[in-house]
Amino acid sequence: MTGGLDIVLQVGIWGLYAGCIYILLAIGLNLIFGVMKVVNFAHGEFLMLGAYVTFTFYAISGFNPYVLLVASVPILILIGVTIERLCFRPILGTGKLNEIFISIGLIYLIQNAAAVIWTDEYRIIHSPFESITISVFGVNLPLDYLIIIITTILILIGLYLFLRKTRLGKAMRATSQNRKGAMLMGINVEKMDMISFGIGAGLAGAAGTLWVVSGQVFTPYMGSIPAVKAFAIIIIGGLGSIPGAIVGGIILGLAENFAIFTIGGAWKDAISFLILIVVLIFKPTGLFGESAE
Amino acid sequence: MSPKVRDYGLVLMLIVAGLVPLIVGLNPYLLTVLILMLIFIIYSSAWNFLTYTGQGSLGHAAFFGLGGYGSALIASWLSLPPFAAVFIGAGAAALAGLFIGAICVRLKEWFLAMVTFGFAIIIQTLVVSRQFSGITGGWDGIAAARLMPGGGGTNLLIEYYAILVIGVMVIVIFWLILRSKTGLAFAAIRENELEARAAGINPVKYRLFAFLVSAYFSGVAGALEVHHLGYITPEIFGVDISFWPIIYSISGGLMTLSGPVVGTIAITIVWDGLQTFGLTYGRFIIIGLLLILIIIFLPKGLISLPDRIREYRDKRKK
Amino acid sequence: MKRVFVILAVLFIGLVLFAGCTENQAAVGSPQKLKIGVVASMTGPASTTGKDVWQSAVLAADEINAAGGVYVKELGKNVTIELVQGDDESTREGGQKAVSKLITQDNVDLLVGGFSSAVVSAHESTVADYSVPYIVSGASSPIITHRTDVKTDTVFHHAPTTDDSGGQTTLFIDDTIRPAINAKFGFPSDRPLRLSVIYQDSPYGKGQLDAIKKTIAASNLNINVISEDAFKMGESDFRTVLTSVKNADPDVVYVAAFLNEQTALVTQARRDVGLDKIFIAVECNDDPDYYSGIGRYGEYSIIQSRFSPYAVPSGPIEQSVNKFMSDFDKKWGGFPGMMGAATYEAVYIGANAVEDAGSLNKTRVNEAIGGTTMPQMVEAMKNETISFTPDFRESKFDLYMEQLIWNETAKETRPVIVWPAKLKETDFVIPDWFKPGQE
Repeated sequence: MTGGLDIVLQVGIWGLYAGCIYILLAIGLNLIFGVMKVVNFAHGEFLMLGAYVTFTFYAISGFNPYVLLVASVPILILIGVTIERLCFRPILGTGKLNEIFISIGLIYLIQNAAAVIWTDEYRIIHSPFESITISVFGVNLPLDYLIIIITTILILIGLYLFLRKTRLGKAMRATSQNRKGAMLMGINVEKMDMISFGIGAGLAGAAGTLWVVSGQVFTPYMGSIPAVKAFAIIIIGGLGSIPGAIVGGIILGLAENFAIFTIGGAWKDAISFLILIVVLIFKPTGLFGESAE
Repeated sequence: MSPKVRDYGLVLMLIVAGLVPLIVGLNPYLLTVLILMLIFIIYSSAWNFLTYTGQGSLGHAAFFGLGGYGSALIASWLSLPPFAAVFIGAGAAALAGLFIGAICVRLKEWFLAMVTFGFAIIIQTLVVSRQFSGITGGWDGIAAARLMPGGGGTNLLIEYYAILVIGVMVIVIFWLILRSKTGLAFAAIRENELEARAAGINPVKYRLFAFLVSAYFSGVAGALEVHHLGYITPEIFGVDISFWPIIYSISGGLMTLSGPVVGTIAITIVWDGLQTFGLTYGRFIIIGLLLILIIIFLPKGLISLPDRIREYRDKRKK
Repeated sequence: MKRVFVILAVLFIGLVLFAGCTENQAAVGSPQKLKIGVVASMTGPASTTGKDVWQSAVLAADEINAAGGVYVKELGKNVTIELVQGDDESTREGGQKAVSKLITQDNVDLLVGGFSSAVVSAHESTVADYSVPYIVSGASSPIITHRTDVKTDTVFHHAPTTDDSGGQTTLFIDDTIRPAINAKFGFPSDRPLRLSVIYQDSPYGKGQLDAIKKTIAASNLNINVISEDAFKMGESDFRTVLTSVKNADPDVVYVAAFLNEQTALVTQARRDVGLDKIFIAVECNDDPDYYSGIGRYGEYSIIQSRFSPYAVPSGPIEQSVNKFMSDFDKKWGGFPGMMGAATYEAVYIGANAVEDAGSLNKTRVNEAIGGTTMPQMVEAMKNETISFTPDFRESKFDLYMEQLIWNETAKETRPVIVWPAKLKETDFVIPDWFKPGQE
């Protein structure tokens, strides 16, 4: 059997690719948390809806599925804004437990509505570039994965520029640093809530499209585990911290894959939570978290 | 609604519960539905007990399932009658509750939710793992002695009353705890942890105690279910088992003794009633929607509905 | 105080109405019918299969009724079959409620269906209490008829257990793939075959793994299981597991997975990891969606089957399979699936047993099912006969192995039967890209 290094490199690239989905989810969750201090456990359902929106448009139009990012992202932004307006705004400030419980209601509602609309049989579509692989550092990499990694990086750069360079982005950051202060400065924080929720949902929608084009199967129930993992990542990294999310993602990705190699794939989910628990025991605010709420 | 009125309500409910078999008679199907409902009333009440200290759990299936495994194993090892094994076996859940509680008591709500959610997954992984499957039967599961072997109307009726007695006992225990100093401490911690500390209350101690009690009685409920069904498999740690008591308690009303009781009954009627209309996924959509509507418009649950209606009427009169 | 009364009164009335509703339902229906309860998951993640199960049962009942129903000697006339649906909601509690209702409210004469082993084992005690004949046509764990803590002598297992399906595939690997590899690469004929197993962490996957090991030990086969890897149910990313398998370097990869996982796993193995090995899929994957989902990557892989959308074993059952599939497609649209096929047969087994017993009496029907000897219907059976073993009341299926070959007209692969000898259409071939494993 050929030796270790190229295998490590290969696993690394898959980790990077799988990480794209997690990163898009985790950053969306983080953005929402930063601005609203709300944790949406139903975030994975946006991923699932993004996948099905892509699938539906693909089935109707036959366009290159990558192009359908322009459909899935706006539609999910719209859905996100609606859900923020109808479900989260009315309960804002009534207690953290309520936010968690309302997400459970949303999970049941969205998953089963999707099962009614699209049936719960699994779906898969084939990317037009499916059979093309290119060699990068001696590792065979499907072209699709390369596009996905690049797309994710572009989306993140776009998000960074939006948050740093535009008025709206600056207002959002101000809100997330100090809500009361922002309010005093004349920032419409409720608008910021809506926008951040919309962007978060849109990022999850983009992740959904990327999930579909990479030839992964999807069902109405696919969202829960990635969302829980994304949430574990931002807890490990520290709520509200973007570098924390990236470090958290890397730790979790490495640990899961290491677990598959050593103690077996059955431990894949358990190991993420074990790490989460260990981190919380020793640093209850997460690795990069600020101590204050 | 004053606490006193609520207590009357509970007594009344108890009378109704005692009389229900007179209506359903020895109908085994309805008795089965009622028995499962009683078990989930105990389970939801135990879950709800945690919210008195301002904590919430997304992974109570861990305790429900551990109670089931503990009791099934003890009943077979010591040849104990299941009704006795239930209370010993639930000790497994209590131990786990103490352990997870020790991790959780210092955590904020979101972290708590994640840790409890993950804990159910970890426990399931352990139960089916190579190291423990010799004891737990792995994915095949193990048989559990039945509460009343033989089945049929009369046996189910005895089972119903026995579980009813246990359920009443559990709620009385909760009531005694909550009206004692401990209950006051719970309320103080829930309202304002800093002030509670200033008043000399150690939140960690009380939260841990709440975790222990909640886990133990969830274990009792799980053990009762397992002995009722006669078999236990690792599917008992599933997410749905963790989520149902949340749905029941929120619907009925958090942080009340009667809330989980009313919620479990009402949602069970809705759930099984909708089935007669041939709904399948539709039921989950309706339950999800109901949950959202209740959280937004009826944050104190169904038991506050009459109050809300009266408020509304009073307003209109003016 | 008054308000509490109101709530309680409402709840109470609800409960009574609810009780009344179900009571009324029980009163309807004359004793002159053969009532069969169909336990199927209509709610929850298993509902796709549940729908297959229910629709196939309806098809069978309609056929029997159209032909005049079932002759019951005791009544001196033909009775029609009435099906009653019991939705187990894919949960243990839902299953017990459904079965309890079917038995005590709807007074069914026998039960068919039952999908998940966990759900079935949770309501078996109720079935035992009333000694209702139950032909399980879904669940695959042998436990359901082997357990001894409750009476299971009315439970009949008409689905291949994991022991049967895992066992037969292992025999195929030993008597066909192993010699083929050794011959093609000029290995000594006593070179052991290198087998990797990737299994779903569930009763189904674990049961398959155990069956493989048991069969190797029992028949002393020249197969080395060089790696065992589990994955979580519903997993979609198998790249790391596959890399670990690649590292072990097997000849054959045995995958015990469901359709959604199998498709992803083989695609990733062949495309991403470059695992140029023979892949084996278990019987539940033989579905049109598998062929469309897997595309080119499935080429030359093996799939175990008992009921296939595209490969019908020529011979005695060919006609009835084609008829069943086209009737199902006409009535419901689509492909019935293997659990549908087994449930379709189960309804016939039940009807046949009632006719044999000449009575609707449960004990006599039960005896009659135990003594069933019916010609095979749409699935190939051992000795071409449906009958139940005396010890654990299991029917024995004649599973076959198909190899997936690219079909230019369909732009998908199509299965051809390569095993066992009496059914095979062509020989098993080793593809040119195959690389045997090395120490």
